[in-house]
Amino acid sequence: MLEAFIFATILCGFFGIIWKKNLLMKIVGMDVMSTGVIAYYVLIASKSGFFTPITGVRENVDYADPVPQAVILTAIVIGFSIQALMLVGVIKLAKNNPTLETSEIEKNNTP
Amino acid sequence: MNTLTITWIALPLFIGFLIFLLPQLDRYLVLITLITSTIYGLEILIANLEFPLTLLDNFGVTLLVDQLSGYFILTNALVMLSVLIYCWQKEKHDFFYGQMIILHGSLNAIFVCADLMSLYVALEVSGIAAFLLMIYPRHDRAIWVGLRYLFVSNTAMLFYLVGAVLVYQSNHSFSFTGLNGASPEVIALIFMGLLSKGGIFVSGFWLPLTHSESETPVSALLSGIVVKASVFSLVRCALIVPELSPLVQLAGLATALFGIGFAMFANDTKRLLAFSTISQLGGILVSPAVGGFYALTHGLAKSGLFLITGSLPSRNFQELEKTAINTRLWVVLVIIITSVCGLPLLAGYEAKTLMLKTLLPWQGNIMTVVAVGTVICLAKFVFIPHNFTATPPIVKPNLSFALVFLVASLTLANMVYDQAYNLPDMTKAIAVAVIGWLIYYLIKPYLNRELPRQLEQLEHLIGFMTLVSILLFWAVLA
Repeated sequence: MLEAFIFATILCGFFGIIWKKNLLMKIVGMDVMSTGVIAYYVLIASKSGFFTPITGVRENVDYADPVPQAVILTAIVIGFSIQALMLVGVIKLAKNNPTLETSEIEKNNTP
Repeated sequence: MNTLTITWIALPLFIGFLIFLLPQLDRYLVLITLITSTIYGLEILIANLEFPLTLLDNFGVTLLVDQLSGYFILTNALVMLSVLIYCWQKEKHDFFYGQMIILHGSLNAIFVCADLMSLYVALEVSGIAAFLLMIYPRHDRAIWVGLRYLFVSNTAMLFYLVGAVLVYQSNHSFSFTGLNGASPEVIALIFMGLLSKGGIFVSGFWLPLTHSESETPVSALLSGIVVKASVFSLVRCALIVPELSPLVQLAGLATALFGIGFAMFANDTKRLLAFSTISQLGGILVSPAVGGFYALTHGLAKSGLFLITGSLPSRNFQELEKTAINTRLWVVLVIIITSVCGLPLLAGYEAKTLMLKTLLPWQGNIMTVVAVGTVICLAKFVFIPHNFTATPPIVKPNLSFALVFLVASLTLANMVYDQAYNLPDMTKAIAVAVIGWLIYYLIKPYLNRELPRQLEQLEHLIGFMTLVSILLFWAVLA
């Protein structure tokens, strides 16, 4: 069930990238897609249990798998920095293409 | 050797940040780092080293240094060195050199890593660094081209990430060996990410515009080495998991034909070179075992060609026919082209002969057709009229040094497989070239019509990803 929702999120983001005309919305679509991917990592990590993998007083509980969580942290940081860079690019482009329509920008900037 | 390897991976990244603190030393720091990498790559190749490196148990980072890495590391260092020589006096800001060396470091990391997660991180870092180099001129077109690149590569990598976690789920490890016996959808997702990022087959439609609209030195870097990063990963997957090898070879053949088909109809010098890069990537994929050497010769030759086109009076072939180019420039151009076409002179010939020897007969036939196609495309450069008085070459001060360096490296690389210089193979190579030039002469009038560029729009680029993943899925199931 959760898995289906996650894949729906990923697909929503993906089709957003394709179908949205506005460059900014495309970037938001990409963000939605990456949110889906991150959620999928969290879901896979929770297959072995829900407890935060930190040593504490309780013993013999089902810990969540820390590896996917640790790994996706890197991906989140990378995704966020790419997002930031792209938005800076969009700010620059917005000066000459205030509507930010991808087709217009494409027409103006391809030989 | 382990400590040395880790220091060597960290060095370029450290230097990259140091450059922002000591901007006046930028080029010297870059030079030292690149020389270190050259020595490291040579050491691996000469001493025939091969060793794995597992950091932090099997959850952590897995590295693998072997001959294949050695060739790619050497390509990386030599291409970067030639671009550094080219840019030495061009008053680039220290930001440019900083990004360049960070790009170098991330590519080095790709060329030794053997697990899906470090590969992801390194590919993304190299993507970001390449993006920053692309938008260095900061005009609208550069920014758009960069954004487009980032869009395609980031979306592709998101699919890759989904594939990676599925591999982890079944193996509890991210290492490449987990691909062994993986289910079709996993292979489809991971390969789709790598194919799109590497510009292979129809998912490579982003590449021509990106490579042709960037500045000359950046184009040389992109075509010479950056695009080989994910190709390297595919080759390594094929070597580690033999059952994936036919798939990779198939992708290689398709790409080689695809690139040549489009390159023939390109009217723009840089666009032609970009499409030719796509077809040469196919050449690397088709024979994973000798792909490293092929990548070395192609990287050196292609970056040289891109540096030269930056100094031609025009980018349009029709205009070049009218204006003619300077003979000195033309001679170097033709020498480098002989390497790409596989004529016996520079190391490109050996790489091509070696590649053809490893293939099955039917694959070899297709690659021979591709070789003829390559000769036809590049004939557009060879038959540009030239004379000594025509338009003074806009030669940048250091272009000649960079070219001498590249040609010298290509000549030295001839040591790798000098058995290739025998009569039958040489006759075959020369016959291919002569046939190619004859066909060029016959069909020349038809080659001037530019093919439509509609498929290179952003939506289509993303849409092609779905197409490629479906194709891959079928290919794996079959």
